[in-house]
Amino acid sequence: MHRFLVKTVTFALAGCLLVLAIALIPGYMVSRFSKFTIKKDNTIVIFGHSHSECAYDDTLIPKLTNLSHSAESYFYTFQKVKKYLSQNPQVTTVLIEFSNNQIAPKMDEWTWGYTYMSNMFPQYASFMGVSDFKLLAQHNSKYFMNCIGIAARSNLIKALSFNYNYTGKTGGYFKIEGTKPLPSINPAGQNIKAPANESTISTTNIQYLRKIIDYCASMHKNVFLIRSPQHPLYEYRSNEAEFSSIRQRYFSDIKFLDFNNFPLKNDEFADFGHLNYKGAIKYSTYINQQINNGMLAPPPTHSLKSFENKQLITINH
Amino acid sequence: MLFNSFGFGIFLIVVFALYWFVFNRKLQQQNLLLMAASYFFYACWDWRFLFLLIFSTLLDYFTGLKMYQAKNQKLKTFWLWLSITINLGFLGVFKYYNFFASSLAAVCADIGIHLSPFTLNVILPVGISFYTFHGLSYVIDVYKGRIKAERNFIDYSLFVSFFPLLVAGPIERSTHLLPQVKATRKFNYQEAINGLRQMLWGLFKKAVIADQCADYANLIFANSAHYTGSTLVLGAIFFAFQIYCDFSGYSDMALGIAKLFGFDLLRNFAFPYFSRDMAEFWRRWHISLSSWFRDYLYIPLGGSKTGTWLKVRNTLVIFIVSGFWHGANWTFIIWGFLNALFILPSILLKTNRNHLEIVAKGNALPTPREFMQMVFTFIQVLFAWIFFRADSVTQAFKYIGGIFSKSLFSVPQLDVGKEQLLEVILLIITFIIVEWQGRENQYAIEKLTWLRRRGYRLAFYYTLIIVIFLFTGKEQQFIYFQF
Repeated sequence: MHRFLVKTVTFALAGCLLVLAIALIPGYMVSRFSKFTIKKDNTIVIFGHSHSECAYDDTLIPKLTNLSHSAESYFYTFQKVKKYLSQNPQVTTVLIEFSNNQIAPKMDEWTWGYTYMSNMFPQYASFMGVSDFKLLAQHNSKYFMNCIGIAARSNLIKALSFNYNYTGKTGGYFKIEGTKPLPSINPAGQNIKAPANESTISTTNIQYLRKIIDYCASMHKNVFLIRSPQHPLYEYRSNEAEFSSIRQRYFSDIKFLDFNNFPLKNDEFADFGHLNYKGAIKYSTYINQQINNGMLAPPPTHSLKSFENKQLITINH
Repeated sequence: MLFNSFGFGIFLIVVFALYWFVFNRKLQQQNLLLMAASYFFYACWDWRFLFLLIFSTLLDYFTGLKMYQAKNQKLKTFWLWLSITINLGFLGVFKYYNFFASSLAAVCADIGIHLSPFTLNVILPVGISFYTFHGLSYVIDVYKGRIKAERNFIDYSLFVSFFPLLVAGPIERSTHLLPQVKATRKFNYQEAINGLRQMLWGLFKKAVIADQCADYANLIFANSAHYTGSTLVLGAIFFAFQIYCDFSGYSDMALGIAKLFGFDLLRNFAFPYFSRDMAEFWRRWHISLSSWFRDYLYIPLGGSKTGTWLKVRNTLVIFIVSGFWHGANWTFIIWGFLNALFILPSILLKTNRNHLEIVAKGNALPTPREFMQMVFTFIQVLFAWIFFRADSVTQAFKYIGGIFSKSLFSVPQLDVGKEQLLEVILLIITFIIVEWQGRENQYAIEKLTWLRRRGYRLAFYYTLIIVIFLFTGKEQQFIYFQF
């Protein structure tokens, strides 16, 4: 028995060390050599989830790079922001999509739910800090362990193929051709159906949004929260009161550009939450105009609310 | 608690330490510990079904004793049938009731009678088919006088519920396992190392091959209408490797774990995809179930020592029952029926025992004839697997229809990265090579005689560990847990 224990423990320890090396060395190399570069002329970046991914056609906004990625919670956006800002000093302005569903508890699922974690964690594991790992391990320890294996494999493949380039793999404008049949727009919002079991909020997502903002501030970037257009019947609009309260409580120091009610027709939406390419063209053209008109000029020289209202009135006409 | 989970690893270490260091003085203490650990293991799945397991154990324990004490044959037969009826009754209610109710409603609907069947909204207790068959083997063996009735409840209970085999076999025989339960067990270094090695290989098969293949097989079977014939063939091949590596991987882990505690369980797989005909395949696939049906159904029905028509009937019966054992679905019944059709020619021509030894024994490669025989057998197995995997008979026929189309000879197309697909195909090829090299052993890496130096063998084991670590992300349920 003694011989068995000694041999087994020695073998297991050596195996653990080897596994640790396989997990850490490629991870370090990816962290060290990864490239997150955008065009030299682009000084504005936007981060967010699928709403902004489908809304900002960055071919129509020359100064902007859309780095949004569908189903990305702020936890993963934070890892991305760190890399993009540190490798692209020309960026002066950071737009962060902040819309109603980003305070919803489903963001927790987007952070540590297995399907989401197994997709996002391998991509960003090398750039995470101890507290980030701890958070995932606390909330989903079982799948966190599995995802470490997936991340190690992903990093090993990158290291073996010397492919450290993340550019173009972390998000971008997503063009949607069609449109789902949508019911007629009801401006009064009477038909909005609240999503089931959405009575609480994702504190983690809100905390990580704060982390992103603080990081941007530490890098001396202008930060704006921005809400892309949502269909008037979009289910998450039902949490508007809570959304506004959170925004005022935690992000009152950050300018909020609200294009929630940007006038669009039904056939310009892909579904309630996303614009299709027609909507994206209309909205992006408008945003480009506003950028050129000084919408993002620091510091704001006029009341933001009145600015938005003025622009919306202009486009309505 | 899956064998390939972190939780099970902790459980195993704790039970191992208690077994050999704390409860090692008395056999009864060791058996009691293993019984308690097995019940805990089962309760981790669903504690409510623990009562069913205990009831089934008590039933067979008492009927076994009653049969043994019975003064006349009539009484003995009564206790046997009582046990069989109740055991199969439970299996019928939990596993087959809904199938019969909905099938009856469908038949009635065809003749214009509309019934709304009362179906049970219960989940299938994990491992019920396995422990029911354990119990049945015991009572039949006691009835036939092959073994004495067990008086010690702890020993009997351990025989039924020993955790490595509780949820997915191998289906043990009382004549094989009970004597081991009652014998003093000494720690055997070689056997323990052998057990760990077998566990490692089982884990590799499950976590690396089966779980990777599962992704592609699931994708192709779920969207079979959209894929070309060649892609559908690829889907069936992925499933063939998924189910083999999933189940044989589980069995390897079960056998390896049992070896750590000094038990030798029945071998369940013996390189079935290297079979040269279907009879050989069935001697090498799920051996504990095949031999169970052979001994407790086929032979009592007359086996192959009867007239031609009875042989045909007996073969059809055991394969259809075997299919039905897997699940309450017509797909399993057709799968069983197809296997019976494939095996019948060799039984009728008395060539079913032509290939008792492993193919190309002592040689590096098979002869061209052996190779073609293996390929032909694999094609038959593959064809039957389509029914096993399909959600319905209609889907299976559509799948087969999709295969036999013009696109059969096109390049397979999948909506996944070529690199990922290539990765899995390379893994399967490597796996086949290792299995081929080790086919004369109990499991592929038992001896690794093709790696002569100890350093190479160590490197091989560490490579397996690393590959397992890198591929563990897609943890999936073992297929046979549903049976």
